[in-house]
Amino acid sequence: MRDKQIADLKDYKYGFSTDIENIKAPKGLNEDVIKFISNIKKEPDWLLKWRLKAFERLKVLKEPDWQKPKYPKIDYQNLYYYSAPKSFKDKPKNLDDLDPKLLETYNKLGIPLQEQKRLNGIAVDAVFDSVSVATTFKDTLTKKGIIFCSISEAIQKHPDLVKKYLGSVIPITDHYFATLNSAVFTDGSFVYIPPNVKCPMELSTYFRINASDTGQFERTLIIADKGSYVSYLEGCTAPMRDENQLHAANVELVALDDAEIKYSTVQNWYPGDKDGKGGIYNFVTKRGLCKGNNSKISWTQVETGSAITWKYPSCILKGDNSIGEFYSIAITNNHQKADTGTKMIHLGKNTKSKIISKGISAGKSDMTYRGLVDVSKNALNSTNYTQCDSLLMGNECGAHTVPYIKNKNSSSNIAHEATTSKISEDQLYYCQQRGLNQEEAVGLIVNGFCKEVLQQLPMEFAVEAQKLVGISLEGSVG
Amino acid sequence: MEQKIKLDFENSLKNSSFSDQEIRSKRNSLSNFLKIGYPNRKLENWKFSDISQIIKRSIGEVSYYNDYTTKNEIDETILIKDLEHNKIIIVNGKVIKFDFDYEDKDKIEITNVDQENVFHDKNNSLINLNNSFADKTYKIIIKKNYSLKKPLIIYQTTNKKVSNTNINFQLYFEIHENSSLRIVDMVDNKSEKNFVNIFYNFNLEKNAILKNYKLDTKISSNIKYVFDNITLSENSISEIFILSSGSNFSKNEIKCDLEGKYSSAFINGIHSLNNEEHHEIRTHINHLVENTKSYQLIKSVIDDSSKSVYQGKIYVDSTAQKADGYQLSKAILLNENTEFNAKPELEIYADDVKCSHGSTSGNLDEGSIFYLMSRGLDYKTARELIINGFLLDVVEKITDEQIKKLVKNIIGLDQ
Amino acid sequence: MLKINNLNAKIDKKSILSGFSLNINPGEVHAIMGPNGSGKSTLSNILSGKKGYDVSGEILFENKNLFDLETEERAHKGIFLAFQYPLEIPGVNTNIFLKTSLNSIRKARGEKELDAIEFLKLVKEKAKNLKFDEEKLSRQLNVGFSGGEKKKNEILQMSILNPKLSILDETDSGLDIDALRIVADGVNSLREKNNSFLIITHYQRLLDYIKPDFVHVLIGGKIIKSGGPELAIELEKKGYESFN
Ligand SMILES: Nc1ncnc2c1ncn2[C@@H]1O[C@H](COP(=O)(O)OP(=O)(O)OP(=O)(O)O)[C@@H](O)[C@H]1O
Ligand SMILES: [Mg+2]
Repeated sequence: MRDKQIADLKDYKYGFSTDIENIKAPKGLNEDVIKFISNIKKEPDWLLKWRLKAFERLKVLKEPDWQKPKYPKIDYQNLYYYSAPKSFKDKPKNLDDLDPKLLETYNKLGIPLQEQKRLNGIAVDAVFDSVSVATTFKDTLTKKGIIFCSISEAIQKHPDLVKKYLGSVIPITDHYFATLNSAVFTDGSFVYIPPNVKCPMELSTYFRINASDTGQFERTLIIADKGSYVSYLEGCTAPMRDENQLHAANVELVALDDAEIKYSTVQNWYPGDKDGKGGIYNFVTKRGLCKGNNSKISWTQVETGSAITWKYPSCILKGDNSIGEFYSIAITNNHQKADTGTKMIHLGKNTKSKIISKGISAGKSDMTYRGLVDVSKNALNSTNYTQCDSLLMGNECGAHTVPYIKNKNSSSNIAHEATTSKISEDQLYYCQQRGLNQEEAVGLIVNGFCKEVLQQLPMEFAVEAQKLVGISLEGSVG
Repeated sequence: MEQKIKLDFENSLKNSSFSDQEIRSKRNSLSNFLKIGYPNRKLENWKFSDISQIIKRSIGEVSYYNDYTTKNEIDETILIKDLEHNKIIIVNGKVIKFDFDYEDKDKIEITNVDQENVFHDKNNSLINLNNSFADKTYKIIIKKNYSLKKPLIIYQTTNKKVSNTNINFQLYFEIHENSSLRIVDMVDNKSEKNFVNIFYNFNLEKNAILKNYKLDTKISSNIKYVFDNITLSENSISEIFILSSGSNFSKNEIKCDLEGKYSSAFINGIHSLNNEEHHEIRTHINHLVENTKSYQLIKSVIDDSSKSVYQGKIYVDSTAQKADGYQLSKAILLNENTEFNAKPELEIYADDVKCSHGSTSGNLDEGSIFYLMSRGLDYKTARELIINGFLLDVVEKITDEQIKKLVKNIIGLDQ
Repeated sequence: MLKINNLNAKIDKKSILSGFSLNINPGEVHAIMGPNGSGKSTLSNILSGKKGYDVSGEILFENKNLFDLETEERAHKGIFLAFQYPLEIPGVNTNIFLKTSLNSIRKARGEKELDAIEFLKLVKEKAKNLKFDEEKLSRQLNVGFSGGEKKKNEILQMSILNPKLSILDETDSGLDIDALRIVADGVNSLREKNNSFLIITHYQRLLDYIKPDFVHVLIGGKIIKSGGPELAIELEKKGYESFN
């Protein structure tokens, strides 16, 4: 059976955008495909069982329908669940072994690995479709005892860590897309920071969706052991395509006592064209567990891409004195839809959370902030501060704010503020009077509106994000 | 439940004088109610207050049989003494008195609303329940260019003849051009463990003014649901004030459709709760044309194991430019067993708007208490002063001085 | 009147006052100066009985152990604190608050409580002396008051409550010249009746109007130098550096 499939795969000639041959599992979602994925990745038995358990669960789960963006039904049987560039079947040992075409693609994306290596001092773990292709800066990290590799590699080399933490924050039974990911995830990043180590550089992954009809199901797991610190950057881009592509990643963060994880995302996936054709469905589950006392997890996101974005990076504040933060900019234009926000679950004592969300909608797009602040009975002396602002450009778009606030604790304080407004004529006039054209002025004002969030991003990212903010709104004024 | 409710329905009809057509319509409402039944937490609207469970827990089996031919006396002791006012007295769901003696007779008309023309919402099963069991539906019409001289007090009462029963009633109001009406709802229950289901429909024509003060302050084990459907035409104003503290469970739902330019809706509410009380205010403000305004201020002070919920939604249609929507909810939690839940929601499709909301919840500010105590006040007095000040802020929003005084008297906030 | 012996105070294990001692006799005016964060407000708060400090040592007020008394009992005994940052208390009417406060103190002293008319008469008179706009008293407590108005409101309260020991925590900051003089007048008229003062300030200017009997320098949690009014002048010239 398997031989036959591989024979089929050999017939598959080329990828769509880059001329790299792909190895694909046959279309469709079933036990055999899951076994195929597990097999080709030489996974241990427990993981296959784990995947199958998730698949069993998936059969009884229903796709959620409470979110605001509605999308045409996805035919899960008509997707590929595994696609690896063929030339990586024997994985390259270092950057020079990379397929030059692939490097070129990265260059187009503006992240030449070689360059970045020198200029930015960022260690990059690139995910090209589903397989992690290259990891740089291994040496420096290894010396500190930091593990930064693809999750496939981690499964082989650090099975104990993976087994202990995989699914510990997002259980396989969680919800439809998280469960789907657990069943069919292909690759992603793995980070482990040993006790009392401050990771000396920003770690980064660049995701990119390439092959057509592939759902991308990465799985990322980051563990910060006691007293450690890490800042992690995730960038996402995808080439233009007519049909919609599904992206359902799971990201799990675990911070032990006194540890801190900063996770930043700039998501710039293909949003579809002006008429709403094509684009990515970005259904991602991101969750962090502040497991230890005095731990901290901070999410920062700049979401400008995708046809539909639907994600709620969350923090479970379990350890006493732990801190959760969520900083978000979400921009929708044309026919894009975004339903995003966060959940802050306060369980430990003296826990603190902060939410700053900036939503900008233009064109015919629709934006929803959806958030939950839940202070449980035992979370004594906890506090939350939430601020969520929306900016509307034109009256064909929508902005929706849906905060859920639950306070079960009389010693805890929750404060929430939200506003909706438009760019003031006076501000525009002022900028224009000083010689800026309308688009520049809007870019400037919008960047000001987002400042609090942009400030949270590491330097290199902040610059890119600022440009993105301007580009995303092109053609939205006038 | 289904068997029982159908049986009670048929039995109730026996004593009634509805026309065949009306009966058909009521039957239809009943079957719509049964499709959904009592709402539970799975419905977004009822997420924080599962009335299906609450009724099960605190009433158990509910009787739906209601004989509107039963004679009921007016309990004179509940009437407000030192304020001249018009009256509507409702006992166990039946209107037993209309008294507009202070007013010009030709300016007020009371008619029947045909069952065909009552308000329907297929998603709101409790309104369907109300439609199927309520007695005659009256409509009070205030004719053009008339402001009622005296406020109207609606006594919503029950007596000991009913218990473990569902009581429904509905009133319709039409306020014509340039007219105004002040209503005070006085909830006074002498009964126990009933589910009282109330529906008000308000239609405000051009320049009309409605002020509705809802006072529920007398301790009772009843469960109460109130739905107000308010439609506002050009330049009309509605002001709703809710003082919610007496019923065991209470949910006030208010829907305002701002359909006319320059119309505005004000909703101010207080939850002052203790014991096991559980109260909710849910608002749904629809800005449907340009230059409309809404303002909401809800404050909760909750003690013991009580629970307060505020769900407020401001919707701004794409044509409703220059809409101004404001929402603020504040809660003070006095006991570790209390719970405050809020869902302040904005849904906006026009860009030239000014909409904002805020929500805070937490403990009493210890700094303020210290400040007052350093001036010689004991802890209890300091705390009381701060809480009263916190709530007074909402009472001060009442624009009718007479009623403001009445309210201050009732809650002992008179300064 | 007030005896502080070897007072230590900590917040969250951080030591703020250590080995602080001070004696104030009836009718005396003491000024305390010290750099930002040296613990002046902390001292005032502890004297007033604010919770949340980890304290040891001894504070006697008219030979009574202050630690045995609640905040309001201290107020009843005649301790008054003019806050550095007077709080805004929304919804609480200033007049009503003042009346409640005055009457609870009078009651504790065994004096007759004032009725509304007597009270208003008293307030009117005091407000006039302090050139305090009466209209503000019918507003919510400190809400929407300017910085200086808040400070003046503190002094008005002081003159109405007639305390034995008044602690003024930087009452002069934010006051205009005229207001400064008025505040000083308020203090001086109380002083004549053998009441005592602890004045915390950063500026010598106030001390031109209110002549202190003693000036103390608070650094590192304790008084490191005491002297007469000339010490304040020296401080203004040289700064705190020279005392380290
Ligand atoms: N509640 C608190 N929690 C933690 N630290 C505090 C607290 N209150 C005061 N402190 C710290 O204690 C120290 C003394 O503060 P304090 O307010 O008494 O200073 P101060 O002498 O009045 O200063 P200033 O001249 O600026 O008014 C400061 O370092 C301050 O940060
Ligand atoms: Mg100070």
